[in-house]
Amino acid sequence: MKKHLIWLVGLCFIQTLAFSQTKIDFREFTLDNGLKVIMHKDSKTPIVVTSVMYHVGSKNENPERTGFAHFFEHLLFEGSENIERGQYSDLVEGNGGALNAFTSNDITYYYELMPSNYLELSLYLESERMLHAKIDEIGLETQREVVKEEKRQRYDNQPYGTILPETLVRAYSKHPYRWAPIGSLDHLNAASLDEFMQFYKDFYVPNNAILTIAGDIDYSQTEEWVRKYFTEIPKGKKAIYRPDIVEPKKETEIRDIIYDNIQIPAIIQAYNLPPKNHPDAYAMEMLSTYLTGGKSSLMTKELVDKQQKALVVAAIPLDLEDGGIFIMYGIANMGIAPEDLEKEIDVLIKQVQEEGISDQDFQKLQNIIENNLVSKNSSIEGIAQNLAEASLFYGDTEYINRELEVYRKVSKEDIQRVAKKYLTLDGRVVLYYLPKPQESAQNQ
Amino acid sequence: MKTLYIFIFAVLFTLGAQAQVDRSVLPPPGPAPKIEFTDPATFTLENGLKVFVVPNDKLPRIAFYLILDRDPLFEGDNAGLTGFVGDMMMAGTTSRTKEALDEEIDFVGASLGAGSTSLSASSLKKHQGKILDLMSDVLYNPVFPQEELEKLKKQTLTSLASSKDDPDYLAGVISNALVFGREHPYGETMTEETVENVTLDDVKEYYQTYFKPNIAYLAIVGDVDAKEAKALVDKYFAFWEKGEVPNFEYQKPELPTENKVALLDRSSAVQSVINIAFPVEMHLTNPDYMATRVMNFILGEGFNSRLNGNLRETKGYTYGARSNFGSDKLIARFSASTSVRNEVTDSSVYEIIHEIRDLEENGITEEELKTAKANLSGRFGRSLENPNTIATFAINIDRYNLPEDFYSSYLQRLDGLTVAAINEAAAKYLKPDNMYLTVVGSGSAIKEGLSQFGELTMYNYKGEEVQEIQLSDDNKTASDVIADYIQAVGGLSAVENINTAKLEMSAEVQGTKVDMMAVYDAEKQRLAQKVIVKGNEASKTIVKEGKATVSSMGKSQALTDEQYEDIKMSSLWLIPELYYEIMGYTLTLDGAADIDGKATYKIIISNPTGGQVINYYSIENGLKLRSENKLSGDTIFREYQEFDGIMVPVKMSIKSPMLPVTLETEVTKVELNVPVSDQDFN
Repeated sequence: MKKHLIWLVGLCFIQTLAFSQTKIDFREFTLDNGLKVIMHKDSKTPIVVTSVMYHVGSKNENPERTGFAHFFEHLLFEGSENIERGQYSDLVEGNGGALNAFTSNDITYYYELMPSNYLELSLYLESERMLHAKIDEIGLETQREVVKEEKRQRYDNQPYGTILPETLVRAYSKHPYRWAPIGSLDHLNAASLDEFMQFYKDFYVPNNAILTIAGDIDYSQTEEWVRKYFTEIPKGKKAIYRPDIVEPKKETEIRDIIYDNIQIPAIIQAYNLPPKNHPDAYAMEMLSTYLTGGKSSLMTKELVDKQQKALVVAAIPLDLEDGGIFIMYGIANMGIAPEDLEKEIDVLIKQVQEEGISDQDFQKLQNIIENNLVSKNSSIEGIAQNLAEASLFYGDTEYINRELEVYRKVSKEDIQRVAKKYLTLDGRVVLYYLPKPQESAQNQ
Repeated sequence: MKTLYIFIFAVLFTLGAQAQVDRSVLPPPGPAPKIEFTDPATFTLENGLKVFVVPNDKLPRIAFYLILDRDPLFEGDNAGLTGFVGDMMMAGTTSRTKEALDEEIDFVGASLGAGSTSLSASSLKKHQGKILDLMSDVLYNPVFPQEELEKLKKQTLTSLASSKDDPDYLAGVISNALVFGREHPYGETMTEETVENVTLDDVKEYYQTYFKPNIAYLAIVGDVDAKEAKALVDKYFAFWEKGEVPNFEYQKPELPTENKVALLDRSSAVQSVINIAFPVEMHLTNPDYMATRVMNFILGEGFNSRLNGNLRETKGYTYGARSNFGSDKLIARFSASTSVRNEVTDSSVYEIIHEIRDLEENGITEEELKTAKANLSGRFGRSLENPNTIATFAINIDRYNLPEDFYSSYLQRLDGLTVAAINEAAAKYLKPDNMYLTVVGSGSAIKEGLSQFGELTMYNYKGEEVQEIQLSDDNKTASDVIADYIQAVGGLSAVENINTAKLEMSAEVQGTKVDMMAVYDAEKQRLAQKVIVKGNEASKTIVKEGKATVSSMGKSQALTDEQYEDIKMSSLWLIPELYYEIMGYTLTLDGAADIDGKATYKIIISNPTGGQVINYYSIENGLKLRSENKLSGDTIFREYQEFDGIMVPVKMSIKSPMLPVTLETEVTKVELNVPVSDQDFN
């Protein structure tokens, strides 16, 4: 009996060790000017992605000049001392490539995806941006208009488009996360070219950047080119401003109504989270999957399928460097009052807090996480971004290969514990998004 | 001497340190890499199932994609049926309820989905057995529960109702109906009626007819080799029974003899959606296929294409303009589309036709060819990162009888194209004088400008022609129509005698009962409207003392003056027509319109603050049949009933921009000239 038991335990032990996570092989080095460089070779397809992650986002902005980081992202497509306006994207697309960028509260990320024989060109292009991007009045004015249109199209004109800014401004009273990356049009309108140039000098420096190259590359040739184009870029002169503001813990709930151009009401709940690399972040991620990830998830099954109180429910942990927010939102079904839906959401949250989750559901979560982590690194685009983020947020590029291990450390009890610790009623933000006041019937 | 050496060395060192890269020169590319890929392993079962295996061990994942190769289906009275098949198959099997199935799929972190011509599953390699169990259970044993069909139909009807307001959707419906014909699988469209017609038997019959291995392809992609794949296929798919699958043929649509304009009038539109299209025969098998890919890229893909460069970059009419040159075994379509503000609708149509004609007549430049080749070959190269692409290549070659090296020679053939070849294709396929110009927008603003492009026909949201009604009585004025209405509802003195009124109405929305109450006070210009859902007051609108307030959930919001004026114009009085002239509104008779088969006068009522109401009054009996207003939406008055000598609409369909579904309301109580108190307006 004992022998069998030991054998079984051994087997179980082996089972848990048999995770599927493919190791991502990489090389890294840092230039004298502080630029961190990460390279990953994958010769399966003759393509290469070159990306630069600048450690600047909306949280680094001056509160009187919000929206700068995102605006900058646009300006950086305008060209450089050697690249004329409009030429940057032509050089990429006209040579068989694709390019894009995004700005968040914490980072700004640029990348080019090209046939592998154009690696040197893509390194040249990103170095031009970092060394001497050209920002002049024409570019500034053009992009001001474009960003305004973007704000209209993606936020102001979208149903529920303002959820993020409206939630952030209430979830944070002191921390710069209280404004969204899109920022304020008034601030952008007021900004001068000098201020933009100063922003560039302050933040777009090699010691504030991570250059990642992934794809069909040769490690030594790539390193040679990187040194060729990036060595001469001078290190930033001043210390990088990073906000050192601790968001005070909220004691009371903040509740509000927003009237919007929508047809169906939505409710949003937001709970403050610890910093992105805090150990509880993993349990919170699993909690969100438990609540709304997949057709059989707790809230989807209960509220959407069975009770038909919601059209859709979602739990999204917005993980930010200094501590993001856990956003729960639900769009009510016709005829359902938002309070009704909110009540049911709270009932289910309470259920997790008081009863925890079953062994079966816990195993399910682990399987889903495993699946997600494997799929996360299926393209060189994804791998490049994950490598850069591992380095930037976790201080260790090797983290990319330890992620599953870290998730495996989360226990069933941890999930219940974080639900109790963070999804508290007294410190949360609750918003009702209601249709703009309208007559609902036209009468004779 | 020594000093000289030191000096030379020093200079060399400093030169070395200062050897800056010359940034004024673009670094040249290396030699173009060989783009190659391995053909998948393939075998065919006795039952006809064709299998392709693409081993890819980059990640420990496995995916199974089953697709059915059948002729397009003309659904006719059941249009929409095929949309239900996939979800119905996923709604439960003989051994698993839907809930159990969802749970088992999620439990292994996998995904499994079905469509009318597909079934696909993917998971980590270690869950392969489970995912194949689930996939085959869904494939062989679906039970098709009735209540799931009811749920899906309801959802479809809801989204259909909102899509009626989606100008892109509408433009597509009309364009396809014109290009292919409404009796063609690509030209038909589902409606409320056809969706209601779908029965469980229809779904079952579809499944039994088309889910057959002899028309199916199975692609297995991921961490597997051909040997293992064969074993799996034998285990799970060898006993699948083949069967006869019907074939269908359809008449080929013809080009219009000249450009024709199709307009769907949405009076509340501030933008026009333009879709210019014509049918074209083009497929992978056509020798001109590659040339048309390049041609279309230059015309309408990419930021600096002819269309985008003109309409966005030069003229600033739009956020984006693009074109698409289709490829289809049965029949394809060329289309150019964009969305522009009202004022530049006709100019945009002009420019699009101009660009198409210019390309047809004058061809392309060497520079354009170079950029197009680079872009398309880059795209091809990048697509190979995804192993599914290889499977698609193999399936296409088999399905369409393409040459074996169709994809392996793709880049060479692309590179071999010349300016002359593209120009030939442009001259052959572009038809600037045989196109359907579909526009969905504000008729009154754009109709006249569009008439210059061809014979103009009006359409409704079903893609049906709307009759243009010629007004026989040219002397009729807007005031006459209003007066006729007042006469029809009871006569001037009866209508003037209405001082107060109380109305109760009920509506049902997705199974929930909604009650509405309205109290009118004409003399004091007061209105109170309440909406009650399940016994609770959901919202309240109070208009009094020159202000309007809306309350909901304990919070109140005052409306702007402009909104107040709008409410005054449309809802403050039981019979607003009586007050149009007194309030100084401008009345315009904007011709006639067909409202659900009835001829009506179209009257535009505008107020000084820019608000507008459009009413349609029956030419035959004077009653108001429809009212449109940007704020409150569209109301159709279906039935009138007499109360104390006044004709009141008792059945209405209300399509408010605030509601995703049309509200069908019924008046349950009408009291005229009853006492009202201040309490009623609190």
